[in-house]
Amino acid sequence: MSKNIRLPLIVGLAVLVLLPALLQVMGSGYLFRVSITAMIFVILAASLNFITGVAGLLSLGHAAFYGIGAYTAALLATRYGVPFLLTIPLAGVAAAIGGVLVALPTMRLVSIYFAVATLGMGEIIYGTLLNWVDFTRGPMGIPAIPSFKVFGLDLSGNLGSYLVVAVVMLASLWVLHRLTHSYYGNALRALREDDQCADSMGIDVVRLKGEVFAIACFFAGIAGSLWAHTTGYISPGDFRFGESILVLAMIVVGGLGSLPGAVVGAVLLIVLPEALRPVGDVRMIAVGCVMFFSILLLPKGLFGEVSALNLVRSSFGAGWKPGVRGVVGWR
Amino acid sequence: MGAHFRGFSMFDAFFVQQLVNGFSVGLVYALIAIGFTLIFGVLNVVNFAHGEVYMVGAYAGVVLITAFAPPLIAVVLFVMAVGAVAGFGLERLAFKPFRRFQDEASLKSKAMREATLLSSLAVSIVVREIVEKLFGGAMRPVPFEAQLTEPIQVGDLSFSTGQFVIFGAAVAMFAGLQFLLYRTRIGLSIRAVANNPLGAKYVGINTDRTIIATFVVGSVMGAVAGILVALYYGSVFPHMGFAPGVKAFVAMVMGGLSSIPGAVICAIFLGLSEAVATEFLAQGWSELIAYGFLLLTLIFFPTGLFGGARDRV
Repeated sequence: MSKNIRLPLIVGLAVLVLLPALLQVMGSGYLFRVSITAMIFVILAASLNFITGVAGLLSLGHAAFYGIGAYTAALLATRYGVPFLLTIPLAGVAAAIGGVLVALPTMRLVSIYFAVATLGMGEIIYGTLLNWVDFTRGPMGIPAIPSFKVFGLDLSGNLGSYLVVAVVMLASLWVLHRLTHSYYGNALRALREDDQCADSMGIDVVRLKGEVFAIACFFAGIAGSLWAHTTGYISPGDFRFGESILVLAMIVVGGLGSLPGAVVGAVLLIVLPEALRPVGDVRMIAVGCVMFFSILLLPKGLFGEVSALNLVRSSFGAGWKPGVRGVVGWR
Repeated sequence: MGAHFRGFSMFDAFFVQQLVNGFSVGLVYALIAIGFTLIFGVLNVVNFAHGEVYMVGAYAGVVLITAFAPPLIAVVLFVMAVGAVAGFGLERLAFKPFRRFQDEASLKSKAMREATLLSSLAVSIVVREIVEKLFGGAMRPVPFEAQLTEPIQVGDLSFSTGQFVIFGAAVAMFAGLQFLLYRTRIGLSIRAVANNPLGAKYVGINTDRTIIATFVVGSVMGAVAGILVALYYGSVFPHMGFAPGVKAFVAMVMGGLSSIPGAVICAIFLGLSEAVATEFLAQGWSELIAYGFLLLTLIFFPTGLFGGARDRV
């Protein structure tokens, strides 16, 4: 038992106690801001990894669902004064509905055709955010989005925002971990390797693809709502094709199909450009170079899928061993 | 009655003018789509950096014009050379390293195709950002004397010299490419590699050289399209390749991915429908027409309107 909780305990302690204490001691709002951005992108990368890495559906429009979530949260909070405890899940649900609506017509497409369709969908959603001025205020964006405040408890400071985002991130990662490293995840990996074969083995391919899209877009929407609440201002430019590519670069660098890899990639690609800031604004050049060299030299990623599965097996014990009632696999 | 009739005919002339403008926008997409489709047909990979070749061609031409103000034909020849170098470099950098394995399984494998898709994407990001660093992110005007915007009045319609140049260039490129593909030895080997890379290798075709040739030809066309469009619109900027690149991509998908005439027809169709859409919709919304057509095509005609049969899409 102790073995099964060691890793979550270490990660939880590091993210919830150690890092915020360190940042608080250094007293830098800038470093808090960078960590919050990194954690939001960890959620995004983990959710894209679920579609593209685990289920093998290359999506080039992920930022659009992130945008749907951000706009849902921002509009609910500014127009109707909905508290953040409600806007975060509602943003996720709105993005998930958007994801299912995108998935329904494009489900039959494979490989590059699917990627192109998601690119088109992403641009359509971006164009809608930009042009539906009556509803989204278009390029002016939505200012003055309230920060985290609940039951008279003010979490809008650096530390408070950090803790809210950290808790949501850990919960999202835990859910995605349970989905990825389970029978369900095995079915998705079968789908990725050969969907016709998976279909003939009795896996309901179309239903699984729809579910994967809904789940991943739900988390992308949650990431969007956190972005809206922590920055206080959003505009359509935050949710363009470039952001989709940035998130894609994160999971490619980290290793497609690997949840810890997505985390590593997201942290690297957010922190590295910030560290390079003294050199000049070379953010996107750095992203492009890191992406190119990792595809060239580390095609499996920094933390490949095989090592990720090994880590999960060794830390959570029960992987593919006969368990209660003779059930094999992660439960 | 007379006044009413006159109003109607003025609307008509305006509408025809819109169609003319849409047609030239469509030709711009077609110029890019030709190179795009040539590369896709051979390698069966999407070259995401094509829009950047287009942008680099435009910048190279504008830099030359600003420095020496040579005649148009010299600018085009210079840009063709730049495009050839860019295509060669792009192939060596972003595509060659991922062709390490030559067996049939890896040539068709999804992993290889996605690796080159991502590597060309990465190269395109780096190139665009470097250009932005060197020349700044803002619009850079083309020297006025070099612009192809001199109006030509034909009845109620007004054309500009740029429209004729783009039309001429599109016809010349299309005809030249058809000649290259169907009347020359290198064209024969390009078609052989497009059809079956491994089979082409077995009968003694140097596939590596053929692929380089394809990239060079496609990129030369992309670069020339870039400079002509820059002269027609009168400005260049680092992100100029993205929107027309995506539209050309849409035209290629609608045309059936490996059919060059199909891509050209669909590109012109896209340009025309965007022009017609501006009659009814605001400018921003009409930008989305192309993506709407893309989705409709993918859903109802997954092999494209002019494509041959494929295994699965």
